[in-house]
Amino acid sequence: MKLVIFEDAAYEQFYPLTYLRPTFDLRCGSTLLREKVERAFGRKADVLFVREWLREAYAVRTSAKVNDLGALAGDDLVLVNGRGLWIGDDFPAAGRDACAMAGADVVYVTLTKGTAARVQASDFAGFLAASARAVPAAKTDLKLLDYPWRLIEENGAAIRDDFKKLGRSGVHGTLGPTAVIWGPQDQVYVAPGAVVEPSAVIDSQEGPVIIEEGAKVNPHSRIQGPAAIGRDTQVVGGKIREGTTLGPVCRVGGEVEESIIHGYSNKYHDGFLGHAYVCEWVNLGALTTNSDLKNDYSAVEVKVKGQLFDTGSTKVGCFIGDHTKTSIGTLINSGTVLGMMSNILGAGCLLPKSVPSYVMFMDNKFYKAGLKQLIGTARTAMGRRKVTMTPQEEALIQRLFDLTKDDRDELIKKSRKEMMIQRGLR
Amino acid sequence: MADAIAERVKSVTAELLKVDPAKVKDSARFVEDLGAASIQSIELVAAFEEEFNVEMDQDEALNVKSVGDAVAYIRKCIAEQHGK
Repeated sequence: MKLVIFEDAAYEQFYPLTYLRPTFDLRCGSTLLREKVERAFGRKADVLFVREWLREAYAVRTSAKVNDLGALAGDDLVLVNGRGLWIGDDFPAAGRDACAMAGADVVYVTLTKGTAARVQASDFAGFLAASARAVPAAKTDLKLLDYPWRLIEENGAAIRDDFKKLGRSGVHGTLGPTAVIWGPQDQVYVAPGAVVEPSAVIDSQEGPVIIEEGAKVNPHSRIQGPAAIGRDTQVVGGKIREGTTLGPVCRVGGEVEESIIHGYSNKYHDGFLGHAYVCEWVNLGALTTNSDLKNDYSAVEVKVKGQLFDTGSTKVGCFIGDHTKTSIGTLINSGTVLGMMSNILGAGCLLPKSVPSYVMFMDNKFYKAGLKQLIGTARTAMGRRKVTMTPQEEALIQRLFDLTKDDRDELIKKSRKEMMIQRGLR
Repeated sequence: MADAIAERVKSVTAELLKVDPAKVKDSARFVEDLGAASIQSIELVAAFEEEFNVEMDQDEALNVKSVGDAVAYIRKCIAEQHGK
């Protein structure tokens, strides 16, 4: 059989998290959504389908075929919507004809080789729709995630599921003297090469804690399960509270609660991050803090595709795109979206609810940022972690600069006029 | 016309950087001679865009080092965008 994972049109609802990655490469728990699907079927994806303008940059990161309709021929197929959360044990079997829907959206389709051969389509969307029509409906408990805050809501359950399926526990790395596992020992996994330094507390009373290879937990850190600390990530003190995932190669301190830091990002200093999703190559300056609860306990609104959307949830933090940096003392309101590659000088004022991509935000105003300069800074940040920006990724960043232009141009023009008045130039 | 542009560039520069207008000569460098911090450089570009109703490439604009070069660059932008 061939395992096929696709992203559907809902990728826009996850912006800015999905500007540089397909929906199925978002993290929830200690693994990516795609990795959960691959684990469910015991194999790597054979073919991946992503929006066309992401194809080139993504294809160099994977050994799977990308957007290759011809690669579907000649085998049983499992077609999986990549924003599905594949946790639990109730997964479909390959080698039969079935389709599970969530409303109008496909969760998965399984096709036998013979049925697949009879499906005619000129593109993948057509192939998927025709496949779904051609086979009997099946019920499923699998969820499709529809907005960024769903990743946060599900993160604790996803960590528990990841821990269970990891099938390992105990300390295989180093537990320093006076470091404590507070709670069931079998709910903790410290991988070989990971170090929990003296006076750190791993609290597994309420859920499992995964500490992956090469991770280091510095003295006076408290990690409260369910939590996952990624490969080569350093917890530099402070409180990592329940429901938190720190992806690989991060440096994190302060207080973090029910949040996902995708990987390769820094929140080194004090400051609170709650109910937030932070993409890669982000740096949060000292005392950057976000709210995740309104003072009147009403539901938090988030800007999705340019419109404020009622999340229906009272606990929603912020969503921060790749390569964005905040200054010391940046204050972020609940439900705030910060685009990618922006440089935010908060200066102690509460940020606006939405900051577009590729801007310099300072003195409560939006200014242009130079694309070449931004790319240069990104290369430097990546080089510090021995990662090279590919030409395809640079082309994608340039394309997104144009794609997001309308989001920022009017704000920049308005800010210019305000600045002229404030500086006595008008 | 060229002199008018230069005068306006110098006036905006002096006002925004709060420096003596007499110091804002063609040869004056924004950072070394007029003390522009990186944040002020960004504000200066925005102010020139607003003053002359042009859009500048931010990378190009931030590479302009002196007042005289700024006048030349703004003149080029005006010519390209307004045909003057």
